[in-house]
Amino acid sequence: MLEIPFERETLGNGLRVVLSTDRTVPVVAVNLWYGVGSRNERRGRTGFAHLFEHMMFQGSVNVAKSQHFELVERAGGSVNASTWFDRTNYYQTIPSHHLELALWLESDRMGWMLPAMTQEKLDNQRDVVKNERRWRYENRPYGDWDERLQALAFPPSHPYHHPVIGSMDDIDAATLEDVEDFFRTFYIPNNAVLTVCGDCDPDETLRMIERYFGRIPRGNAIPPLPGQPDLPSRIGGTVRRDLVASVPLPRVYMASRIPPFSDDLFTVAEVASAVLGIGRASRLYRSLVRERRLAKDVGAYVYPLLTGSGLFLSWATGYSNVETEELETALATETEGLAQAVAGEVDRALAMAETRVVKGLEGAGRRADLLSMYELYFGDPGRVNSEIERLRSATPDRVGDFARTHFHDENRAVVTYTPGGDS
Amino acid sequence: MMDPAPLRTTRPPEPGQVRPFTFPEVEYERLESGLELRTARMPRLPVVTATLVFGAGEATLPEERGGLAVLAGSALHGGTRRRSGADLARSLEALGASIEVSTGWDACAISLTCLADRLDAALGLLSELVQEPSFPESEVARFRDQRLAAIEQRRMDAGKLADDEAARVIFAPGVPYGRPVAGTRESVAGLDREDLTRFAGERFGPRGAGFVVVGDVHPGEVRSLAETHLGEWTGGGGPVGDVPVAARFGHRWVRVVHRPGSVQSDIRLGHMGAARSSVDFFSLLVLNTVLGGAFTSRLNLNLRETLGVTYGVRSRFVFRRSPGPFLISTAVDTDATADAVRETLREVEGVVEAGPTEEELSAARDYIAGVFPLRLETTGQVASAVAESFVYRLPEDYHRTYRDRIRAVGRESAVAAARRHLRPHELVAVVVGDAERIRGPLEEVGLGPVEVCEQP
Repeated sequence: MLEIPFERETLGNGLRVVLSTDRTVPVVAVNLWYGVGSRNERRGRTGFAHLFEHMMFQGSVNVAKSQHFELVERAGGSVNASTWFDRTNYYQTIPSHHLELALWLESDRMGWMLPAMTQEKLDNQRDVVKNERRWRYENRPYGDWDERLQALAFPPSHPYHHPVIGSMDDIDAATLEDVEDFFRTFYIPNNAVLTVCGDCDPDETLRMIERYFGRIPRGNAIPPLPGQPDLPSRIGGTVRRDLVASVPLPRVYMASRIPPFSDDLFTVAEVASAVLGIGRASRLYRSLVRERRLAKDVGAYVYPLLTGSGLFLSWATGYSNVETEELETALATETEGLAQAVAGEVDRALAMAETRVVKGLEGAGRRADLLSMYELYFGDPGRVNSEIERLRSATPDRVGDFARTHFHDENRAVVTYTPGGDS
Repeated sequence: MMDPAPLRTTRPPEPGQVRPFTFPEVEYERLESGLELRTARMPRLPVVTATLVFGAGEATLPEERGGLAVLAGSALHGGTRRRSGADLARSLEALGASIEVSTGWDACAISLTCLADRLDAALGLLSELVQEPSFPESEVARFRDQRLAAIEQRRMDAGKLADDEAARVIFAPGVPYGRPVAGTRESVAGLDREDLTRFAGERFGPRGAGFVVVGDVHPGEVRSLAETHLGEWTGGGGPVGDVPVAARFGHRWVRVVHRPGSVQSDIRLGHMGAARSSVDFFSLLVLNTVLGGAFTSRLNLNLRETLGVTYGVRSRFVFRRSPGPFLISTAVDTDATADAVRETLREVEGVVEAGPTEEELSAARDYIAGVFPLRLETTGQVASAVAESFVYRLPEDYHRTYRDRIRAVGRESAVAAARRHLRPHELVAVVVGDAERIRGPLEEVGLGPVEVCEQP
């Protein structure tokens, strides 16, 4: 039904390129994924991959501070970036006649970022990131939930144990030398995927990419991940953190280790999460929200992670008169109940997934992001066209088997929040 | 270690040939019931967004009924005369379809999203949901409890609390815009099945309503689908008039909401803004982009990229049928609270007194005109844009001429708009943070009296 066209190339320096043309609107997305994330951070430098992402906007040899944003905004484009466990992505969507500008900007910082770095810029972005941490995690109810859950689900020796945002002390400790090391180690063409998607001519675009990125030298092999990336498939018990905090309502988060994104079973986990927690006819909504009225909202989803394990998550926010124990039991019961998944609910989840997949291809930026991800993670951007087919492989039996294998008290991390006190 | 790349010196490349963007052609039709069809074809992907839009929202409700429109909208999911809420959800989701209801001050939009080949069946359910809602007692109670819990959550979220308090401090008592759009604990607690049934009967009808269908579907087909599913439908409230608005103070004022131990202060600075119908609309979009509407706006470059006291700051005019707020929003390091307020004030004063520069105006115009097509890539985005033009009765050529009107904003009109609609001496501030640490410094800023109150 769907066929997103694409071409792949690899430059001499190892930069992988994906081009996907669609000329219906004069908009083009330029999207770069670097194979570096919080999992690559060494002890004492948690949060650095993200702080570095901020530094990438502080200019490069031909681009002054703030000029990256100025040039893109002036061109009528939108630009941003994000850092996650396994990767960092930089993305801009821009009117197509400014494609060359976006490529020039990305190449300038991939090749020539360091000459523009100063202590003043680092100190400024360190302050910005610390305010991001305060805003996103410290100053809002439940803001620390993922940090807590990760710390439980992954042992201290594993690269997913610490949060992407990092600790305040580690953010404070970052130096210009760290910026330089990180840049030389990870921000190299052979550790990146560049996707151009939308209103572009593939041949002309490839010539531009060659012109701007071709001279950037290949870097060394990426060093092995720090710590111990291999993990048992189970957590090995129910590990928990029960918090009394200044939150308005009780809430429970629950996580289980599941196979990583690269495993065929990950697709089954995706469908299981939809059966459990996506939509008003999902198990959690039906039971906890509509029938038993324990919770005002519920949800479930999966973290597509590469390193040793993925994560299956669910949560529920209870009404003020509900105890977290009751919420937790209800969440666990419904999750384990997926062992008896039936055809009707799996079909429902698949029908909704199908619409979601198609909707997800509407914007050039989102298409580019998917193409980059599939190329970087699996060397196969074509997965974008087989997503629905893959999901359909999740039969009720496979969902049931999956639930029996992964959802039980030997493989569970739980964070609970009970209102009260000053956090 | 590898060799570094040889340094290169280049300049930003020149833009290529501009390719035209045209807003999808919108076809206008009207059913006998009064329902106005707006259809736009976007055939690229097999997906459709179909939105019923009613030109009345929370603004016309009295204070003690605040939240009725929002609750009635969400409780449409409680079931119909033919099926329970659970059955309705199952039927919709089995089609991979979803219906989301969003209710604001000026309008209520009931929006269906589905794959194109399931549109007929999904429209049957949309039609049932809106024509035959049953509002079962127990489901109404559940939606009300969910809403009350959400209100409870807002009170403990510093950012949302700051938004709610800002509205309260900007608008005079009794002005609808001064209360939270979904109502208060008191008003919502008093709503019952009868209120919802009456409200739906009066408001959710075809007269004065719009039906916007965007996606992989032919306009002719839409007409026949609309007649099949919505042709027998009658009633409806039609559009509503303006809401009287007035400022609470008309002079500077600072309210600190004490949140002990807060590591940041959530700051809102604002005053009454302009109506959606204002002749200055386009000038204000450009002016606000210079001040605080984009990343490289004055406020963000100062507070974030120079001072580093925040992750971000934005300003905006909230355009409604009657003048909504002009609002600057940020969250800053507690110790930087007074400095951030002082700098923000200085930036507003600066843009009013000296006006934006030609260079800034040109960058702002290019930005707004350029991002316009970026925000119209999906059927949902185009349907929202068409629904907005329906609610505010924008001219038929509105979207096609939008970028020309932006490009026509000159310095004179931007300066005039700044003088008319930015009034630094009437700015009121709400700061949600640790009063013990920020009160003294805030008093020295010179924003007028500092009132400290406890978290509500």
